[in-house]
Amino acid sequence: MKRLIPFLVLLSTLLAGCCDPLPPATPTATPLPFPSSGFTPTPIRLIYGLTLAPSGIDPHVNASSELGIPLTSVYDTLVYLDPESGEFVPGLAEDWDISEDEMAYTFYLRKGVTFHDGTPFDAEAVRFNLERITSPDLASQKARFMLGPYERTEVVDEYTVRIHLGEPFAPLLDSLSQVYLGMASPTAVEKWGSDYQLHQVGTGPFTFAEYVPQDYLLLRRNPDYAWGPKIYQHETALAEEIEFRFFADPATRSPALETGEAEIMGEIPPQDAVRLMESEDFIIEAVPIPGVSLMFFLNTTRAPLDDVDVRQALLYGTDRQAIVSTIFRDTSPVAYGPLAANTFGYEPAVRDYYAYDPTQAAALLDAAGWIDTDDDGIRDKDGEPLVLDMFLMSWGHMPEIGQLLAAQWAELGIGVNNQVVSYPEALEVAGEGRHHLIPFNLSGSDPDILRKFFHSEAGFNWSKLDDAEMDNWLEVAARTSDWEEREALYSQIQLRVMERGVAIPIRDYVNLNGASSQVEGLHFDAQGWFPWLIDVTVTEIQ
Amino acid sequence: MIARYIGRRLIQAASVLWLAATLAFVAMKLTPGDPAQALLAASGATETEIAERRTQLGLDDPLPLQYARYLWSLAQGDLGQSWLHGRSVGQMILEQFPATAELAISAIIIGTALGLALGVLAALRRSTWLDTAATALAVIGLSTPTYWSGLLAILLFSLHLRWLPATGEGDPRHLLLPSLVLGCALSGSIARLVRARVVEIMEEPFVQAARARGIPPWRVLLVHVLRPALPTALTVVALQFGFLLGGAVVTESVFARRGLGKLAVEAILWRDLPVVRGVIVLGALVYVLVNLAADLAQAWLNPRLREELA
Repeated sequence: MKRLIPFLVLLSTLLAGCCDPLPPATPTATPLPFPSSGFTPTPIRLIYGLTLAPSGIDPHVNASSELGIPLTSVYDTLVYLDPESGEFVPGLAEDWDISEDEMAYTFYLRKGVTFHDGTPFDAEAVRFNLERITSPDLASQKARFMLGPYERTEVVDEYTVRIHLGEPFAPLLDSLSQVYLGMASPTAVEKWGSDYQLHQVGTGPFTFAEYVPQDYLLLRRNPDYAWGPKIYQHETALAEEIEFRFFADPATRSPALETGEAEIMGEIPPQDAVRLMESEDFIIEAVPIPGVSLMFFLNTTRAPLDDVDVRQALLYGTDRQAIVSTIFRDTSPVAYGPLAANTFGYEPAVRDYYAYDPTQAAALLDAAGWIDTDDDGIRDKDGEPLVLDMFLMSWGHMPEIGQLLAAQWAELGIGVNNQVVSYPEALEVAGEGRHHLIPFNLSGSDPDILRKFFHSEAGFNWSKLDDAEMDNWLEVAARTSDWEEREALYSQIQLRVMERGVAIPIRDYVNLNGASSQVEGLHFDAQGWFPWLIDVTVTEIQ
Repeated sequence: MIARYIGRRLIQAASVLWLAATLAFVAMKLTPGDPAQALLAASGATETEIAERRTQLGLDDPLPLQYARYLWSLAQGDLGQSWLHGRSVGQMILEQFPATAELAISAIIIGTALGLALGVLAALRRSTWLDTAATALAVIGLSTPTYWSGLLAILLFSLHLRWLPATGEGDPRHLLLPSLVLGCALSGSIARLVRARVVEIMEEPFVQAARARGIPPWRVLLVHVLRPALPTALTVVALQFGFLLGGAVVTESVFARRGLGKLAVEAILWRDLPVVRGVIVLGALVYVLVNLAADLAQAWLNPRLREELA
């Protein structure tokens, strides 16, 4: 009996915890009282739900989009991309010019900027950052490659810095406008070494206050911030502290918003978003993401997809609208071409290709000699059934899309073998060309992103293209800074992709953010992923 | 004598650790996919740059050399750097371990209490509706996946009743829901075994004798029946620890808690070998230690075993 006593005490303590109910859900944010009385107002703390615990969050080292959601407010960049006009606007650089040969970019830096730790920001700091990013020891997973043919950085004077390239690289300004190339305090980087990602220091509107990996990340307003780009509109913003919490399971995101455990939540599942849209207590901020739309790449080197008629039959036989309506509840636009419609350089003429037409699809297959001779529901030719191997990854609703496609194509007499694989395995399968179809999408604001998919030497050349003319267009477009020339080239590239029927576009990616209706001023940068937290405010609670 | 016993068990433990580390290595090498490519493909790195990274990570070396290096650094207690995070694996594990341990321990307490109560109740009221109900509860606990029961619990206790927060951590309230869910799942098998053992003991002559001596029924139950049944419960709890570590992975994800589970899943998906090795070796170590402790506690509870050891 004696041995049971401590055990029972422990048990009763545990059970006691559940007896006093929580107060009904109220947002944790409290507005600042008007300064009539003497007490200090409690700072407003917003809780912002992210979908994953970011895996490593040093923007110079790691690659996730997640890390940029908080850190875009910790770091400033040399330039910013105005999502409205598509123009680059001054950031830490007040002005810049590009040399005649387009291989040297000179930046004239803003004076009087300091990092959160008091280190002054100057040309030497820019050089330090770019050298850090390109150092092989850092093993950067993204930032290094965004700099393309980077060679070195020259400090011209205290506030002038020049970046030298090995060859012209048109996407450079776009890269420099992203958090991955944000400016970190050289003092902090040297002080913390490999632990820097737990103690990040930038010049941005918020400081990196506390971070417990996979638990929470707290940002606190930088009171000295006076050098924001003109695209920030923070006159009325009130959020003093922003606490990021992580909700990896999609099913838990909307409940967390509804119970008031978070005021803002990223990547709400479409069915929950549709429900929240109808409620007065919540707003859904649907942000289209520029880049390469979600599309299924067709392996043009593997029979029967080496036959353009069969590929076009698949395109005609795909009811994209049905997929977008069923799986995404019409929260995403249907994709018509390789670039999302809000990407700079998008060619609207892609909309004229491959409207859903199962009759046309069947006619193309008949003409190509694929006929169901043995009456098993699957077309065949020379004794070979028309069965395609489709590889899918588990995220982004790909398995559901794969099922719908298989059902749609079954009606045309096309069989599909679906297989879900991990990302590293997908890279291997598609690299070796063991697939007929495999989907992917990638976000990015510069159309040079097409080079990663349709150049014959590209890592994601999952259509297995080997088109010298296309390679040339992609290479020239990456080197040319004349926007009209680039636009013409990208238009040709997009139309070529459609004519040859090398991929089936499905939908443009949309980032469905949910927020309490008391949250105002939530808007996102040109990438569509990164919120300008300095503009966020909370209206008075009734 | 007991020292020799512990010594023998520690040697066993070392071989379990070696086996776990080796299995992790073999499994990761058999899984298709190249870590360097997974890390860099989306960034637009060229084939040459990816190959350079592969060399940098030592993935170009012959497998026996990779394996030897893998074991050697482990033997020195160096868990290495995560390929994905670029941070020290030991430190990453230290950050996550307390959260998982907290969840596992409270789930064990709840699961054991619930399992004991249900098992004893079912045994005492054998073949009545109580027995059936307790059995049904145990089977439901045993067969319901925690990702599902977790969501149901969130729906009921957080969204409708608003008693407990659905996600996050901090105060004990945050811990209660996930550990209840995991504890309930755990209680099923404990309840089944405890019930069987108690039924068995109730038939024993010494229980009959105790009753005949007029000892009050509660005392018969606590001293004469429950005490010999405890070692059974203890063994199950220790063996269930493996299940618990696995269940914690899922539970952590549903309740948006941090922990080793999340770390492991991410590392496996990205072929981040140093992190996989770290988590697996730690998991094996904890499992071995818990079972060693359970065996020692058994000996302490069971005089016959104690004599055998001595």
